[in-house]
Amino acid sequence: MISRRVIVAAFLALATVAGAVASLALGAVEIPFGDVIRILFGSVDSGPDYEIVRTLRLPRMVEALLVGAALGVAGACLQGALSNPLASPDVIGVTGGAGFGAMLVIILLPAQAALVPLSALVFGLVAATMVFLIGFVGERAGGIGRVILAGIAIASLFGAGTAALMAAFPERVPAGIFFLVGGLTTTGWETLQQVLPYFVVGFIVAILLVRPLDRLTLGDEVAASLGSKPRRIRFGAAFAAALLASAAAAVAGLLAFLGLVVPHMVRLAAGTGRTTYVMPVSALGGAALLVWADTLARVIAAPVELPVGPLLVLLGVPVFLWLLRKAV
Amino acid sequence: MPLTGETLLEASGVGVEIAGTTILEGVDLTLSRGELVAVVGPNGAGKSTFARVACGLQKADRGRIEWEGESISTLRGRELARLRAFVPQRPQVPAGVTVADAVSIGRSSHFGPFRGSSPSDHDAISEAMSRARVEKLSDRLLTTLSGGELQRVQVAVALAQDAPALVADEPTAQLDLGATAEVSRLLRSLVDQDFGILLIVHDLALAAAVADRVTVISDGRSIATGTPFEVLTPQLISEVWGVEAELISRDGRSALHVGWLDRAAGERR
Repeated sequence: MISRRVIVAAFLALATVAGAVASLALGAVEIPFGDVIRILFGSVDSGPDYEIVRTLRLPRMVEALLVGAALGVAGACLQGALSNPLASPDVIGVTGGAGFGAMLVIILLPAQAALVPLSALVFGLVAATMVFLIGFVGERAGGIGRVILAGIAIASLFGAGTAALMAAFPERVPAGIFFLVGGLTTTGWETLQQVLPYFVVGFIVAILLVRPLDRLTLGDEVAASLGSKPRRIRFGAAFAAALLASAAAAVAGLLAFLGLVVPHMVRLAAGTGRTTYVMPVSALGGAALLVWADTLARVIAAPVELPVGPLLVLLGVPVFLWLLRKAV
Repeated sequence: MPLTGETLLEASGVGVEIAGTTILEGVDLTLSRGELVAVVGPNGAGKSTFARVACGLQKADRGRIEWEGESISTLRGRELARLRAFVPQRPQVPAGVTVADAVSIGRSSHFGPFRGSSPSDHDAISEAMSRARVEKLSDRLLTTLSGGELQRVQVAVALAQDAPALVADEPTAQLDLGATAEVSRLLRSLVDQDFGILLIVHDLALAAAVADRVTVISDGRSIATGTPFEVLTPQLISEVWGVEAELISRDGRSALHVGWLDRAAGERR
Protein backbone atom coordinates (compact mmCIF):
# COMPACT_ATOMS: atom_id res chain seq x y z
CA MET A 1 0.00 0.00 0.00
CA ILE A 2 1.27 3.45 -0.89
CA SER A 3 1.45 5.57 2.23
CA ARG A 4 -0.49 8.76 2.78
CA ARG A 5 2.79 10.61 3.00
CA VAL A 6 3.78 9.58 -0.51
CA ILE A 7 0.34 10.36 -1.94
CA VAL A 8 0.29 13.86 -0.46
CA ALA A 9 3.83 14.64 -1.63
CA ALA A 10 3.11 13.30 -5.13
CA PHE A 11 -0.16 15.22 -5.37
CA LEU A 12 1.52 18.47 -4.36
CA ALA A 13 4.41 17.93 -6.76
CA LEU A 14 1.93 17.35 -9.57
CA ALA A 15 -0.15 20.36 -8.53
CA THR A 16 2.98 22.53 -8.55
CA VAL A 17 3.97 21.49 -12.06
CA ALA A 18 0.42 21.77 -13.39
CA GLY A 19 0.04 25.16 -11.71
CA ALA A 20 3.29 26.37 -13.23
CA VAL A 21 2.17 25.39 -16.71
CA ALA A 22 -1.31 26.84 -16.19
CA SER A 23 0.16 30.13 -14.97
CA LEU A 24 2.07 30.43 -18.27
CA ALA A 25 -0.87 29.48 -20.48
CA LEU A 26 -3.76 31.28 -18.77
CA GLY A 27 -4.46 34.95 -18.23
CA ALA A 28 -6.03 37.85 -20.05
CA VAL A 29 -4.67 36.22 -23.21
CA GLU A 30 -4.91 32.44 -23.44
CA ILE A 31 -1.96 30.77 -25.07
CA PRO A 32 -2.25 27.14 -26.19
CA PHE A 33 -0.24 24.71 -24.13
CA GLY A 34 1.79 23.55 -27.15
CA ASP A 35 2.83 27.12 -27.91
CA VAL A 36 3.93 27.65 -24.31
CA ILE A 37 6.23 24.63 -24.57
CA ARG A 38 7.64 25.82 -27.90
CA ILE A 39 8.26 29.30 -26.47
CA LEU A 40 9.95 27.93 -23.36
CA PHE A 41 12.23 25.57 -25.24
CA GLY A 42 13.25 28.03 -27.87
CA SER A 43 11.61 26.84 -31.11
CA VAL A 44 9.57 30.07 -31.10
CA ASP A 45 11.52 33.22 -30.31
CA SER A 46 9.41 36.21 -31.22
CA GLY A 47 5.84 37.46 -31.46
CA PRO A 48 3.37 38.81 -28.89
CA ASP A 49 2.83 35.40 -27.24
CA TYR A 50 6.58 35.05 -26.84
CA GLU A 51 6.75 38.44 -25.13
CA ILE A 52 3.86 37.63 -22.81
CA VAL A 53 5.27 34.28 -21.76
CA ARG A 54 8.95 35.15 -21.51
CA THR A 55 8.85 38.66 -20.07
CA LEU A 56 5.58 38.73 -18.11
CA ARG A 57 4.36 35.30 -17.10
CA LEU A 58 7.59 33.38 -16.67
CA PRO A 59 9.12 35.74 -14.08
CA ARG A 60 5.79 35.90 -12.33
CA MET A 61 5.50 32.12 -12.22
CA VAL A 62 9.01 31.86 -10.79
CA GLU A 63 8.10 34.53 -8.21
CA ALA A 64 4.97 32.62 -7.20
CA LEU A 65 6.85 29.33 -6.84
CA LEU A 66 9.73 30.90 -4.94
CA VAL A 67 7.59 33.01 -2.59
CA GLY A 68 5.18 30.15 -1.94
CA ALA A 69 7.99 27.71 -1.21
CA ALA A 70 9.80 30.27 0.96
CA LEU A 71 6.76 30.98 3.11
CA GLY A 72 5.95 27.28 3.46
CA VAL A 73 9.52 26.57 4.57
CA ALA A 74 9.61 29.62 6.87
CA GLY A 75 6.44 28.44 8.61
CA ALA A 76 7.71 24.87 8.95
CA CYS A 77 11.03 26.17 10.35
CA LEU A 78 9.36 28.34 12.97
CA GLN A 79 6.68 25.86 13.99
CA GLY A 80 9.39 23.22 14.38
CA ALA A 81 11.82 25.49 16.20
CA LEU A 82 9.31 27.02 18.59
CA SER A 83 7.22 23.83 19.03
CA ASN A 84 4.23 26.09 18.66
CA PRO A 85 1.42 25.55 16.17
CA LEU A 86 0.74 29.29 15.97
CA ALA A 87 4.26 30.17 14.88
CA SER A 88 4.56 31.92 11.54
CA PRO A 89 6.67 34.78 10.16
CA ASP A 90 4.31 37.11 12.08
CA VAL A 91 5.65 35.71 15.32
CA ILE A 92 9.24 36.84 14.79
CA GLY A 93 8.13 40.31 13.75
CA VAL A 94 9.00 39.94 10.06
CA THR A 95 5.53 40.65 8.72
CA GLY A 96 5.09 43.74 10.88
CA GLY A 97 8.56 45.01 9.99
CA ALA A 98 8.20 44.40 6.26
CA GLY A 99 4.78 46.08 6.21
CA PHE A 100 6.22 49.12 7.93
CA GLY A 101 9.22 49.22 5.60
CA ALA A 102 7.03 49.14 2.52
CA MET A 103 4.53 51.72 3.78
CA LEU A 104 7.36 54.01 4.83
CA VAL A 105 8.50 54.29 1.21
CA ILE A 106 5.00 54.25 -0.31
CA ILE A 107 3.76 57.01 1.96
CA LEU A 108 6.81 59.19 2.63
CA LEU A 109 8.72 58.68 -0.62
CA PRO A 110 6.02 57.97 -3.21
CA ALA A 111 8.38 58.94 -6.03
CA GLN A 112 10.81 56.18 -5.04
CA ALA A 113 8.44 53.23 -5.50
CA ALA A 114 11.33 51.10 -6.73
CA LEU A 115 12.70 51.10 -3.19
CA VAL A 116 9.62 49.33 -1.75
CA PRO A 117 10.97 45.76 -1.99
CA LEU A 118 14.33 46.72 -0.53
CA SER A 119 12.76 48.67 2.32
CA ALA A 120 10.36 45.80 3.09
CA LEU A 121 13.30 43.39 3.16
CA VAL A 122 15.44 45.61 5.35
CA PHE A 123 12.73 46.39 7.89
CA GLY A 124 11.58 42.77 7.98
CA LEU A 125 15.13 41.81 8.93
CA VAL A 126 15.47 44.73 11.36
CA ALA A 127 12.32 43.59 13.18
CA ALA A 128 13.56 40.00 13.30
CA THR A 129 16.97 41.16 14.59
CA MET A 130 15.27 43.10 17.39
CA VAL A 131 13.31 39.97 18.32
CA PHE A 132 16.52 37.92 18.27
CA LEU A 133 18.38 40.44 20.45
CA ILE A 134 15.68 40.22 23.08
CA GLY A 135 14.91 36.53 22.66
CA PHE A 136 18.34 34.98 22.19
CA VAL A 137 20.81 37.12 24.18
CA GLY A 138 21.59 36.98 27.88
CA GLU A 139 20.77 34.54 30.61
CA ARG A 140 17.97 32.06 29.94
CA ALA A 141 18.17 33.10 26.29
CA GLY A 142 16.42 31.15 23.59
CA GLY A 143 13.41 30.10 25.64
CA ILE A 144 10.34 29.62 23.50
CA GLY A 145 8.04 31.88 25.51
CA ARG A 146 10.56 34.68 25.50
CA VAL A 147 11.09 34.57 21.73
CA ILE A 148 7.35 34.51 21.00
CA LEU A 149 6.52 37.32 23.41
CA ALA A 150 9.37 39.44 22.07
CA GLY A 151 8.05 38.79 18.55
CA ILE A 152 4.54 39.86 19.42
CA ALA A 153 5.78 43.03 21.10
CA ILE A 154 8.03 44.02 18.18
CA ALA A 155 5.29 43.22 15.67
CA SER A 156 2.94 45.52 17.59
CA LEU A 157 5.55 48.25 17.57
CA PHE A 158 5.96 48.15 13.78
CA GLY A 159 2.21 47.72 13.35
CA ALA A 160 1.70 50.92 15.31
CA GLY A 161 4.30 52.64 13.12
CA THR A 162 2.44 51.56 9.99
CA ALA A 163 -0.90 52.69 11.43
CA ALA A 164 0.60 56.06 12.40
CA LEU A 165 1.92 56.59 8.86
CA MET A 166 -1.47 55.71 7.39
CA ALA A 167 -3.29 58.01 9.81
CA ALA A 168 -0.93 60.90 9.04
CA PHE A 169 -1.24 60.58 5.24
CA PRO A 170 -4.62 58.94 4.58
CA GLU A 171 -4.66 60.12 0.96
CA ARG A 172 -1.56 58.08 0.18
CA VAL A 173 -2.80 54.85 1.74
CA PRO A 174 -4.47 53.45 -1.41
CA ALA A 175 -1.07 53.07 -3.10
CA GLY A 176 -0.02 50.71 -0.33
CA ILE A 177 -3.11 48.54 -0.25
CA PHE A 178 -1.75 46.17 -2.86
CA PHE A 179 1.34 45.52 -0.77
CA LEU A 180 -0.58 45.09 2.46
CA VAL A 181 -3.04 42.55 1.08
CA GLY A 182 -0.28 40.78 -0.82
CA GLY A 183 0.08 40.29 -4.52
CA LEU A 184 2.65 39.38 -7.11
CA THR A 185 3.80 42.15 -9.41
CA THR A 186 4.89 42.20 -12.99
CA THR A 187 8.26 43.84 -12.78
CA GLY A 188 10.06 41.14 -14.75
CA TRP A 189 13.20 39.72 -13.21
CA GLU A 190 14.41 42.88 -11.49
CA THR A 191 12.98 42.51 -7.97
CA LEU A 192 13.66 38.81 -8.05
CA GLN A 193 17.33 39.39 -8.83
CA GLN A 194 17.66 41.84 -5.94
CA VAL A 195 16.31 39.46 -3.33
CA LEU A 196 17.48 36.14 -4.77
CA PRO A 197 20.55 35.92 -2.49
CA TYR A 198 18.31 36.15 0.59
CA PHE A 199 16.13 33.34 -0.69
CA VAL A 200 19.19 31.24 -1.48
CA VAL A 201 20.82 31.69 1.94
CA GLY A 202 17.47 31.17 3.68
CA PHE A 203 16.81 27.92 1.83
CA ILE A 204 20.33 26.62 2.44
CA VAL A 205 20.15 27.28 6.19
CA ALA A 206 16.70 25.68 6.30
CA ILE A 207 17.92 22.56 4.50
CA LEU A 208 20.88 22.24 6.89
CA LEU A 209 18.46 22.46 9.81
CA VAL A 210 15.94 19.86 8.67
CA ARG A 211 17.47 17.06 10.69
CA PRO A 212 18.39 19.11 13.78
CA LEU A 213 14.81 20.44 13.86
CA ASP A 214 13.54 16.88 13.58
CA ARG A 215 15.49 16.12 16.78
CA LEU A 216 13.78 19.00 18.55
CA THR A 217 10.44 17.25 17.93
CA LEU A 218 10.87 15.19 21.09
CA GLY A 219 11.89 18.16 23.19
CA ASP A 220 15.07 20.04 24.03
CA GLU A 221 16.40 17.38 26.38
CA VAL A 222 16.20 14.57 23.85
CA ALA A 223 17.81 16.82 21.25
CA ALA A 224 20.60 17.68 23.67
CA SER A 225 21.00 14.01 24.54
CA LEU A 226 21.59 13.43 20.83
CA GLY A 227 24.34 16.02 20.83
CA SER A 228 22.37 18.94 19.35
CA LYS A 229 22.27 22.46 20.73
CA PRO A 230 18.58 23.38 20.93
CA ARG A 231 19.09 27.13 21.26
CA ARG A 232 21.41 27.32 18.30
CA ILE A 233 18.99 25.28 16.21
CA ARG A 234 16.16 27.58 17.23
CA PHE A 235 18.16 30.66 16.38
CA GLY A 236 19.27 29.23 13.04
CA ALA A 237 15.71 28.30 12.12
CA ALA A 238 14.39 31.73 13.10
CA PHE A 239 17.20 33.33 11.08
CA ALA A 240 16.36 31.25 7.98
CA ALA A 241 12.66 32.05 8.40
CA ALA A 242 13.41 35.76 8.76
CA LEU A 243 15.43 35.78 5.51
CA LEU A 244 12.83 33.79 3.59
CA ALA A 245 9.81 35.72 4.85
CA SER A 246 11.47 39.13 4.41
CA ALA A 247 12.50 38.27 0.86
CA ALA A 248 9.00 36.95 0.18
CA ALA A 249 7.45 40.15 1.51
CA ALA A 250 9.77 42.19 -0.69
CA VAL A 251 8.51 40.36 -3.76
CA ALA A 252 4.86 39.77 -2.97
CA GLY A 253 3.75 41.87 -0.02
CA LEU A 254 2.21 40.39 3.07
CA LEU A 255 1.14 36.81 2.46
CA ALA A 256 2.14 35.47 5.86
CA PHE A 257 -1.07 33.44 6.03
CA LEU A 258 0.67 30.96 3.75
CA GLY A 259 3.48 30.44 6.24
CA LEU A 260 1.04 29.68 9.03
CA VAL A 261 -1.33 27.39 7.20
CA VAL A 262 0.68 25.40 4.65
CA PRO A 263 2.75 23.35 7.14
CA HIS A 264 -0.43 22.55 9.06
CA MET A 265 -2.17 21.42 5.89
CA VAL A 266 0.77 19.17 5.11
CA ARG A 267 0.78 17.69 8.61
CA LEU A 268 -2.95 17.11 8.67
CA ALA A 269 -3.15 15.71 5.15
CA ALA A 270 -0.15 13.40 5.48
CA GLY A 271 -0.69 12.49 9.12
CA THR A 272 2.88 13.14 10.18
CA GLY A 273 4.64 15.83 12.16
CA ARG A 274 8.22 14.89 11.19
CA THR A 275 10.18 17.97 10.07
CA THR A 276 12.09 15.81 7.60
CA TYR A 277 8.78 15.44 5.76
CA VAL A 278 6.88 18.60 6.65
CA MET A 279 9.55 21.08 5.58
CA PRO A 280 10.23 19.89 2.00
CA VAL A 281 6.57 19.10 1.37
CA SER A 282 5.54 22.52 2.74
CA ALA A 283 7.82 24.03 0.09
CA LEU A 284 5.81 22.16 -2.55
CA GLY A 285 2.50 22.99 -0.88
CA GLY A 286 3.27 26.71 -0.63
CA ALA A 287 4.47 26.85 -4.23
CA ALA A 288 1.40 24.98 -5.52
CA LEU A 289 -1.07 27.06 -3.54
CA LEU A 290 0.44 30.40 -4.53
CA VAL A 291 0.94 29.62 -8.21
CA TRP A 292 -2.66 28.39 -8.52
CA ALA A 293 -4.10 31.27 -6.51
CA ASP A 294 -2.16 33.78 -8.60
CA THR A 295 -3.31 32.18 -11.84
CA LEU A 296 -6.94 32.26 -10.68
CA ALA A 297 -6.51 35.87 -9.53
CA ARG A 298 -5.54 36.80 -13.08
CA VAL A 299 -8.21 34.70 -14.78
CA ILE A 300 -11.40 35.03 -12.70
CA ALA A 301 -12.16 38.63 -13.57
CA ALA A 302 -9.79 39.07 -16.55
CA PRO A 303 -8.60 41.53 -17.65
CA VAL A 304 -8.99 42.89 -14.13
CA GLU A 305 -6.47 41.31 -11.78
CA LEU A 306 -7.60 40.45 -8.28
CA PRO A 307 -5.10 40.73 -5.40
CA VAL A 308 -3.83 37.25 -4.68
CA GLY A 309 -3.69 37.62 -0.87
CA PRO A 310 -7.44 37.54 -0.15
CA LEU A 311 -8.01 34.94 -2.87
CA LEU A 312 -5.36 32.74 -1.32
CA VAL A 313 -7.12 32.96 2.01
CA LEU A 314 -10.45 32.18 0.37
CA LEU A 315 -8.96 29.10 -1.27
CA GLY A 316 -6.86 27.99 1.66
CA VAL A 317 -9.18 28.44 4.61
CA PRO A 318 -11.94 26.00 3.54
CA VAL A 319 -9.39 23.28 2.81
CA PHE A 320 -7.64 24.00 6.07
CA LEU A 321 -10.86 23.89 8.10
CA TRP A 322 -11.92 20.67 6.39
CA LEU A 323 -8.59 19.04 7.30
CA LEU A 324 -8.82 20.41 10.82
CA ARG A 325 -12.23 18.84 11.36
CA LYS A 326 -11.01 15.50 10.08
CA ALA A 327 -7.91 15.54 12.26
CA VAL A 328 -7.77 13.17 15.21
CA MET B 1 32.56 -6.79 24.16
CA PRO B 2 33.53 -4.65 27.15
CA LEU B 3 33.26 -6.26 30.53
CA THR B 4 30.79 -5.73 33.32
CA GLY B 5 32.26 -3.39 35.86
CA GLU B 6 34.05 -1.13 33.40
CA THR B 7 33.67 2.46 34.62
CA LEU B 8 31.40 4.57 32.47
CA LEU B 9 30.95 7.78 34.44
CA GLU B 10 33.20 9.31 37.01
CA ALA B 11 32.17 12.58 38.59
CA SER B 12 33.97 14.31 41.43
CA GLY B 13 33.54 17.61 43.20
CA VAL B 14 30.85 18.74 40.78
CA GLY B 15 29.59 22.26 41.51
CA VAL B 16 26.98 24.34 39.72
CA GLU B 17 25.76 27.88 40.23
CA ILE B 18 22.71 29.32 38.54
CA ALA B 19 22.29 33.07 38.59
CA GLY B 20 24.51 33.40 41.64
CA THR B 21 22.79 30.65 43.63
CA THR B 22 24.75 27.52 44.43
CA ILE B 23 22.78 24.48 43.30
CA LEU B 24 25.50 21.83 43.59
CA GLU B 25 28.71 22.15 45.56
CA GLY B 26 30.46 18.84 45.67
CA VAL B 27 28.90 15.75 44.18
CA ASP B 28 30.98 12.60 43.70
CA LEU B 29 29.57 9.63 41.85
CA THR B 30 30.67 6.73 39.69
CA LEU B 31 28.67 4.51 37.37
CA SER B 32 29.87 1.25 35.86
CA ARG B 33 28.54 -1.18 33.30
CA GLY B 34 26.01 -3.65 34.61
CA GLU B 35 24.88 -1.61 37.59
CA LEU B 36 22.03 0.68 38.47
CA VAL B 37 22.91 3.62 40.65
CA ALA B 38 20.01 5.54 42.17
CA VAL B 39 20.41 9.19 43.10
CA VAL B 40 18.03 10.11 45.90
CA GLY B 41 17.49 13.25 47.91
CA PRO B 42 14.83 15.74 48.97
CA ASN B 43 13.14 18.05 46.47
CA GLY B 44 15.49 20.85 45.49
CA ALA B 45 18.63 18.99 46.61
CA GLY B 46 20.06 19.18 43.09
CA LYS B 47 19.41 15.64 41.81
CA SER B 48 18.03 16.68 38.43
CA THR B 49 20.66 19.38 38.02
CA PHE B 50 23.32 16.75 38.64
CA ALA B 51 21.78 14.44 36.02
CA ARG B 52 21.73 17.23 33.46
CA VAL B 53 25.28 18.32 34.25
CA ALA B 54 26.57 14.75 34.16
CA CYS B 55 25.03 14.37 30.70
CA GLY B 56 26.42 17.66 29.46
CA LEU B 57 22.99 19.25 29.01
CA GLN B 58 24.12 21.95 31.39
CA LYS B 59 27.62 23.17 32.25
CA ALA B 60 29.35 22.45 35.53
CA ASP B 61 31.15 25.36 37.15
CA ARG B 62 33.50 23.18 39.19
CA GLY B 63 34.67 19.61 39.41
CA ARG B 64 35.47 16.84 37.00
CA ILE B 65 33.10 14.73 34.88
CA GLU B 66 34.54 11.94 32.76
CA TRP B 67 32.78 9.51 30.46
CA GLU B 68 34.85 6.39 29.78
CA GLY B 69 37.91 8.30 30.94
CA GLU B 70 37.40 11.36 28.73
CA SER B 71 36.60 14.74 30.20
CA ILE B 72 33.14 15.92 29.20
CA SER B 73 34.52 19.31 28.20
CA THR B 74 36.61 17.78 25.43
CA LEU B 75 33.82 15.59 24.04
CA ARG B 76 31.78 16.86 21.10
CA GLY B 77 28.01 16.48 21.03
CA ARG B 78 27.96 13.45 18.77
CA GLU B 79 30.77 11.69 20.64
CA LEU B 80 28.94 12.25 23.91
CA ALA B 81 25.73 10.95 22.31
CA ARG B 82 27.43 7.57 21.86
CA LEU B 83 28.55 7.39 25.49
CA ARG B 84 25.35 8.26 27.34
CA ALA B 85 21.67 8.83 26.65
CA PHE B 86 19.34 11.00 28.69
CA VAL B 87 15.75 10.00 29.46
CA PRO B 88 13.78 13.09 30.49
CA GLN B 89 11.18 13.15 33.22
CA ARG B 90 8.38 14.56 31.15
CA PRO B 91 8.41 13.48 27.54
CA GLN B 92 7.30 15.98 24.93
CA VAL B 93 4.39 14.44 23.03
CA PRO B 94 4.22 16.02 19.57
CA ALA B 95 1.26 15.39 17.27
CA GLY B 96 1.71 13.23 14.18
CA VAL B 97 4.75 11.30 15.40
CA THR B 98 4.63 7.51 15.64
CA VAL B 99 6.61 5.36 18.03
CA ALA B 100 8.78 4.18 15.13
CA ASP B 101 9.39 7.82 14.13
CA ALA B 102 10.39 8.73 17.68
CA VAL B 103 12.82 5.84 18.00
CA SER B 104 14.38 6.67 14.64
CA ILE B 105 14.90 10.25 15.87
CA GLY B 106 16.79 8.66 18.77
CA ARG B 107 19.05 7.01 16.22
CA SER B 108 19.68 10.17 14.22
CA SER B 109 23.00 11.06 15.85
CA HIS B 110 24.36 8.17 13.79
CA PHE B 111 23.06 9.53 10.48
CA GLY B 112 25.24 11.73 8.26
CA PRO B 113 24.00 15.26 7.53
CA PHE B 114 22.57 14.33 4.13
CA ARG B 115 22.37 10.57 4.43
CA GLY B 116 19.34 8.82 5.77
CA SER B 117 19.32 5.70 7.88
CA SER B 118 21.37 2.69 6.77
CA PRO B 119 20.39 -0.99 7.20
CA SER B 120 22.48 -1.14 10.38
CA ASP B 121 20.52 1.84 11.73
CA HIS B 122 17.27 0.00 10.99
CA ASP B 123 18.59 -2.99 12.94
CA ALA B 124 19.55 -0.76 15.85
CA ILE B 125 16.12 0.87 15.82
CA SER B 126 14.26 -2.43 15.92
CA GLU B 127 16.60 -3.76 18.59
CA ALA B 128 15.98 -0.69 20.74
CA MET B 129 12.23 -1.18 20.31
CA SER B 130 12.39 -4.84 21.24
CA ARG B 131 14.63 -4.17 24.28
CA ALA B 132 12.15 -1.58 25.54
CA ARG B 133 9.27 -3.89 24.58
CA VAL B 134 7.51 -1.36 22.39
CA GLU B 135 7.60 -3.22 19.02
CA LYS B 136 3.86 -3.73 19.14
CA LEU B 137 3.34 0.01 19.52
CA SER B 138 5.51 0.77 16.49
CA ASP B 139 2.78 2.38 14.34
CA ARG B 140 0.90 4.05 17.14
CA LEU B 141 0.97 7.84 17.46
CA LEU B 142 2.66 9.12 20.62
CA THR B 143 -0.49 11.10 21.39
CA THR B 144 -2.44 7.84 21.83
CA LEU B 145 -0.11 6.19 24.38
CA SER B 146 -0.57 5.79 28.12
CA GLY B 147 1.97 7.27 30.53
CA GLY B 148 3.73 3.94 31.04
CA GLU B 149 3.88 3.18 27.32
CA LEU B 150 5.22 6.66 26.66
CA GLN B 151 7.97 6.19 29.23
CA ARG B 152 8.99 2.86 27.65
CA VAL B 153 9.12 4.62 24.29
CA GLN B 154 11.39 7.26 25.87
CA VAL B 155 13.68 4.46 26.96
CA ALA B 156 13.59 3.00 23.43
CA VAL B 157 14.51 6.43 22.01
CA ALA B 158 17.49 6.54 24.39
CA LEU B 159 18.52 2.96 23.57
CA ALA B 160 18.54 3.75 19.85
CA GLN B 161 21.40 6.11 20.59
CA ASP B 162 23.49 3.00 21.24
CA ALA B 163 25.18 4.38 24.34
CA PRO B 164 26.23 2.04 27.14
CA ALA B 165 24.88 4.38 29.83
CA LEU B 166 21.38 5.71 30.40
CA VAL B 167 20.65 8.61 32.70
CA ALA B 168 16.96 8.71 33.61
CA ASP B 169 15.53 11.69 35.46
CA GLU B 170 12.54 10.54 37.55
CA PRO B 171 11.09 8.42 34.73
CA THR B 172 8.39 7.04 37.01
CA ALA B 173 7.42 10.26 38.79
CA GLN B 174 4.16 10.62 36.87
CA LEU B 175 3.28 6.94 36.62
CA ASP B 176 0.83 4.78 38.53
CA LEU B 177 1.90 1.68 40.46
CA GLY B 178 1.60 -0.78 37.57
CA ALA B 179 3.45 1.40 35.10
CA THR B 180 6.14 2.20 37.67
CA ALA B 181 6.74 -1.53 38.19
CA GLU B 182 6.85 -2.09 34.46
CA VAL B 183 9.43 0.64 33.87
CA SER B 184 11.46 -0.62 36.84
CA ARG B 185 11.54 -4.16 35.42
CA LEU B 186 12.59 -2.71 32.07
CA LEU B 187 15.48 -0.76 33.64
CA ARG B 188 16.58 -3.83 35.62
CA SER B 189 16.53 -5.98 32.48
CA LEU B 190 18.79 -3.45 30.78
CA VAL B 191 21.23 -3.68 33.66
CA ASP B 192 21.29 -7.44 33.09
CA GLN B 193 22.18 -6.69 29.48
CA ASP B 194 25.22 -4.79 30.75
CA PHE B 195 23.97 -1.23 30.50
CA GLY B 196 24.91 1.19 33.25
CA ILE B 197 21.92 3.14 34.52
CA LEU B 198 21.88 6.29 36.60
CA LEU B 199 18.38 6.71 37.97
CA ILE B 200 17.23 9.93 39.59
CA VAL B 201 14.36 8.95 41.85
CA HIS B 202 12.60 10.34 44.90
CA ASP B 203 10.84 7.14 45.99
CA LEU B 204 13.21 5.49 48.48
CA ALA B 205 11.40 2.15 48.49
CA LEU B 206 11.66 2.00 44.73
CA ALA B 207 15.33 3.02 44.85
CA ALA B 208 16.00 0.25 47.37
CA ALA B 209 14.28 -2.31 45.16
CA VAL B 210 15.96 -1.51 41.85
CA ALA B 211 19.37 -0.05 42.69
CA ASP B 212 22.67 -1.79 43.24
CA ARG B 213 23.99 1.35 44.87
CA VAL B 214 22.40 4.54 46.13
CA THR B 215 23.92 8.01 46.32
CA VAL B 216 22.20 10.53 48.58
CA ILE B 217 22.37 14.18 47.55
CA SER B 218 21.41 16.74 50.16
CA ASP B 219 21.85 20.51 49.85
CA GLY B 220 23.94 20.13 46.73
CA ARG B 221 26.40 17.58 48.17
CA SER B 222 26.65 13.82 47.89
CA ILE B 223 26.63 12.77 51.51
CA ALA B 224 26.53 8.97 51.31
CA THR B 225 27.02 6.18 48.80
CA GLY B 226 26.59 2.43 49.15
CA THR B 227 24.07 -0.37 48.93
CA PRO B 228 20.53 0.83 49.67
CA PHE B 229 20.30 -0.82 53.09
CA GLU B 230 23.74 0.38 54.16
CA VAL B 231 22.93 3.96 53.27
CA LEU B 232 19.24 4.52 53.84
CA THR B 233 19.26 4.05 57.59
CA PRO B 234 16.52 5.55 59.79
CA GLN B 235 19.12 7.96 61.09
CA LEU B 236 20.10 9.26 57.65
CA ILE B 237 16.48 9.48 56.49
CA SER B 238 15.67 11.46 59.58
CA GLU B 239 18.62 13.81 59.06
CA VAL B 240 18.05 14.41 55.37
CA TRP B 241 14.26 14.28 55.00
CA GLY B 242 13.27 15.15 58.54
CA VAL B 243 10.97 12.14 58.75
CA GLU B 244 11.04 9.08 60.97
CA ALA B 245 11.11 6.17 58.54
CA GLU B 246 12.60 2.75 58.15
CA LEU B 247 13.39 0.79 55.04
CA ILE B 248 12.08 -2.79 55.27
CA SER B 249 12.96 -5.67 52.99
CA ARG B 250 11.32 -9.06 52.89
CA ASP B 251 11.35 -11.73 50.16
CA GLY B 252 12.80 -9.32 47.60
CA ARG B 253 10.11 -6.73 48.29
CA SER B 254 10.85 -3.37 49.76
CA ALA B 255 8.78 -0.88 51.71
CA LEU B 256 9.30 2.29 53.58
CA HIS B 257 7.60 2.44 56.96
CA VAL B 258 6.99 6.11 57.51
CA GLY B 259 5.80 7.96 60.56
CA TRP B 260 3.85 10.35 58.36
CA LEU B 261 2.35 12.45 61.14
CA ASP B 262 5.23 12.14 63.56
CA ARG B 263 6.08 15.73 64.44
CA ALA B 264 9.25 15.19 66.39
CA ALA B 265 11.43 14.60 63.38
CA GLY B 266 10.16 17.60 61.49
CA GLU B 267 10.73 19.87 64.46
CA ARG B 268 14.17 18.52 65.14
CA ARG B 269 15.14 19.47 61.60
